[in-house]
Amino acid sequence: MSRHSHAADDDFKVGTRQQTAWGTHMATAFFFGEAGAGLFLVAQFFDFALGMAVGLLMVVIGKGGGHLVHLGKPSRGWRAFTKIGSSWVSRGLAAIVVLSVFGALHLWQSLHGVLPAPLAWLVAGIAGAAAMVIMVYQGFAMSHSSAISLWSSGLMPITSLVFALLNGVLLTIVLGYNEAFLAGHADTLRMLEAAVVVLILLGLVTILSMLNAARYGSEGGRESVRLLLRTDFAATFVPLVIGVGMVAAAVLTAFAPKGLPTMIAVLAAELTGYYAFRILVFKAGTYDPVMKFGRSFTH
Amino acid sequence: MAKWGMVFDLRRCIGCNACSVACKQENSLPYGVFFTRTVSEETGEFPHASRVYIPTICNHCEDAPCERVCPTGATSTRADGIVMVDKEKCIGCGSCIVACPYDQRTMVEPEMLEKGLFGTGKLTPFEQQGYARFTPGTVVKCTFCHERVDAGLDPACVSTCPTNARIFGDLDDPESKVRRLIQEHRAKQPLPEKNTNPRVFYID
Repeated sequence: MSRHSHAADDDFKVGTRQQTAWGTHMATAFFFGEAGAGLFLVAQFFDFALGMAVGLLMVVIGKGGGHLVHLGKPSRGWRAFTKIGSSWVSRGLAAIVVLSVFGALHLWQSLHGVLPAPLAWLVAGIAGAAAMVIMVYQGFAMSHSSAISLWSSGLMPITSLVFALLNGVLLTIVLGYNEAFLAGHADTLRMLEAAVVVLILLGLVTILSMLNAARYGSEGGRESVRLLLRTDFAATFVPLVIGVGMVAAAVLTAFAPKGLPTMIAVLAAELTGYYAFRILVFKAGTYDPVMKFGRSFTH
Repeated sequence: MAKWGMVFDLRRCIGCNACSVACKQENSLPYGVFFTRTVSEETGEFPHASRVYIPTICNHCEDAPCERVCPTGATSTRADGIVMVDKEKCIGCGSCIVACPYDQRTMVEPEMLEKGLFGTGKLTPFEQQGYARFTPGTVVKCTFCHERVDAGLDPACVSTCPTNARIFGDLDDPESKVRRLIQEHRAKQPLPEKNTNPRVFYID
């Protein structure tokens, strides 16, 4: 069979269709956005300069780079500012720019303390708010699309927020393990480790709820869940996203001997699982079949 | 001002895909790009088997999600209801593609324009003149053949359909054929639960 007729077979039959517009580059950008913004926000809470700097770099280079590589016309990327009123992509870009400027200013203030108090608080507030927007807007950008049932869920922004916080807490623990705010405060470290377990459980519940909603939402949603749990995707989704990224990370945090090596292992497991989650959620995004409509005809 | 829309009469569609070919010719669509498809599905088992043909096209939705999510304003709706993409403003982010419930948008990849319709890598004179209108890295979709419509003609798919299964006209004109068909046959819109209010209707 020729390549042409094979394409025709796929394109001219009724059925669900996987989206291919958003792939690995976009998933990478989302991953760095949520991890970086989460790290910045948590590090800001502890006034942890290294964490804020790494968080900013992850957002600017990791997220920004991922988006630029994804764009069909990267040289026109600046145009994405123009529809802040209706587009979550525009709002996200604005938040990235605001975080880059005010985050760097806040970091500078944190290291050198040159701004007067009211201005310093304002800068910190704006930087924190921008980080918060980046932590959730990607979920809104996906849930705003009613075309793909797996994404079109109010749980998507919550998932983004939970995993951004989880990534931020874990990165803060690992990067700041020997810093005064953790090394000198065992209770703070215990609190953060407990937060890791709680956030992993919350993430697991939101992911399972999202899959459940998609499964009973539409034919496209059912196909997405089937892809994630019953096809080649399942070989990655179940062991890596659920097993390594969530179960192993939670068990290690709760029961393994305490120490930096353990937390590095937890961070590696969680980030690996979360990156796989981001990629698979994009790949499993499926449109509803137009036949759902056609089947209502009787001829 | 007219509000253009289309009606697909499924009783008449024979699945010949002449509309798809006419569209590709009219718009010089490269390999892998279709602005309209007639999809089919076989249902039932012998001796009660049947095949259903459903023409699909950009629905030029009244509440177009593609326009709402576009971060640059490249997607916009003309006063006559035709949803357009400005290739000079499009940044190729793909937001509109994942927002369209009907999967009717396509990203123009560079290889689409290089491969040629015959897959040889050599472009025919027809392709060479036609591909100039495409910009790699931007999104394209059906425009109801807006140049033809502006000149008072029907879209190419409508003119070509041998069974008159595609009817094009003014949805705001109570005397138009599309309005009468919609009212008389209680026409349905595709995926109404998506709340996009398509300007394309189906009757049987």
